[in-house]
Amino acid sequence: MANQQEYQRSRPDSKIAKIVVDRDLCISAASCIGVAPEAFELDAESKAILKNTADSVDDETLMMAAQSCPTKAILLFDNDGKQIYP
Amino acid sequence: MTEVKYLIIGGGVAGTMAADTIRKKDSEGSITIISDEPYRFYSKIMLSKPAFFLGKIPFETIWLRKEEWYPENKISLLLGKKAVSLDPVGKIVALDDGASFKYEKLLLATGSSVIKWPVVGADKNGICYLRTLDDVKKIMQLVKTAKRAATIGGGFISFEMADLLRLSGKDVTLIIRENYFWEPILDEESGRLVEKVLKDAGVEILYKSEAKEILGGDSVESILLNDGRKVEAEMVVCGIGVRSENEWLAGSGLKINKGILANEYLETNLPDVWAAGDVAEYYDPILGETVKLGNWIHSQEQGKRAGFNMAGEKEPFKFVSFYASQGLGANIAFIGNIAPLPGRSVITRKYDNGKAIIRFIQSGNKIVGATLINKTEDLKTIANMIENNIDVSDRLEELSDVNFNLSGFNSENINA
Repeated sequence: MANQQEYQRSRPDSKIAKIVVDRDLCISAASCIGVAPEAFELDAESKAILKNTADSVDDETLMMAAQSCPTKAILLFDNDGKQIYP
Repeated sequence: MTEVKYLIIGGGVAGTMAADTIRKKDSEGSITIISDEPYRFYSKIMLSKPAFFLGKIPFETIWLRKEEWYPENKISLLLGKKAVSLDPVGKIVALDDGASFKYEKLLLATGSSVIKWPVVGADKNGICYLRTLDDVKKIMQLVKTAKRAATIGGGFISFEMADLLRLSGKDVTLIIRENYFWEPILDEESGRLVEKVLKDAGVEILYKSEAKEILGGDSVESILLNDGRKVEAEMVVCGIGVRSENEWLAGSGLKINKGILANEYLETNLPDVWAAGDVAEYYDPILGETVKLGNWIHSQEQGKRAGFNMAGEKEPFKFVSFYASQGLGANIAFIGNIAPLPGRSVITRKYDNGKAIIRFIQSGNKIVGATLINKTEDLKTIANMIENNIDVSDRLEELSDVNFNLSGFNSENINA
């Protein structure tokens, strides 16, 4: 579980408090970038990483980006730390 | 006869995303998805990835929707059924089991199927393809006993399978007709770059080679090549391309080329019939041409757009699609339309003495596509350049100059 990037969200109207990208699962299909280009980009290793503009993305779009990942490498957590996707 | 408001033929990513989108916009209208596969929506991308293939993650990860998702969203899913005819006047689709559906709105999202290897003996056990979950189950079974494997064709399938087969400890021979890997989609230098990682991983590549016959009893033992050489293998993964199966639509009046023809709204020439995903050959308003592009994200986004349009929120499909893959320490991405058509030119941008290469495909005064080897981090920047229709006609030097930051093209466009 070590190879993960965590992003704490600070958006008052959001039910998604934390976004995690599992770098071992990420296969750079880049579907998240297609759905939410303000939240995700690929790094030099071709893995998805969170951008510092990720707070500008609403919950529905984030959920769609996570759902679009063909390897379920994007994990979403709510304010109580409960995993809400996948 | 079953009456349904939204009928979707195809249960893959385009069909499922369309159903999902329609349900968000129309909470009551009945939706039926017909799939010829025995499975609900799953990740075709995952099939050829090490984590899944080598069993490092649970098999269940393959499912992209829970079984309950369908009833919860009042989406009826019919599995293992094939549509056999379309009557656009009566608005009726008939299935192979004799059932028929009367639709108000119809989406054709039937995807594509593998081209079968037209070689004598290709029906022997051990010859496999990579497209569906059943295909991969067969490959995973063969991997348990085979010692030597061959992959046929130079493209994503061979690249990903060669990686997986090496990780599984097989001797791997890759057989291609061309002079180098991925010709003519890639230039020779980019192709050789991909070949290098394959060879470093122990894959043997045979060039300018075509199979004449598959030898063996019930099961494959070797591949006899045209030049008389023999490649021994207990399993062969064939990746020689895909095609859309549209024969069932003959006589319906639907306009078909390689795919089902559609405009930028994904509407076909028949009333209340849309097409999306691999099967759609549609007018792309960004590229300014009619294209048939087959990749996951493209189908996903097209399925969504078709869903919106069917539910009454009509807008053109505008999306620069891309596909990216990685393996053996290399990463590869294709963006937009990379077909090397006549009249197109290529601008090459090389990093670190050719360890990473971007090729821009230029049509007229703009970029319509790009291939990226070991430089996928520029994927979105380049997709934006294509979407922004940037005139590059007198800026070719900047494109090839690695000291010029590509994002400069897009920021200038915003200011303009």
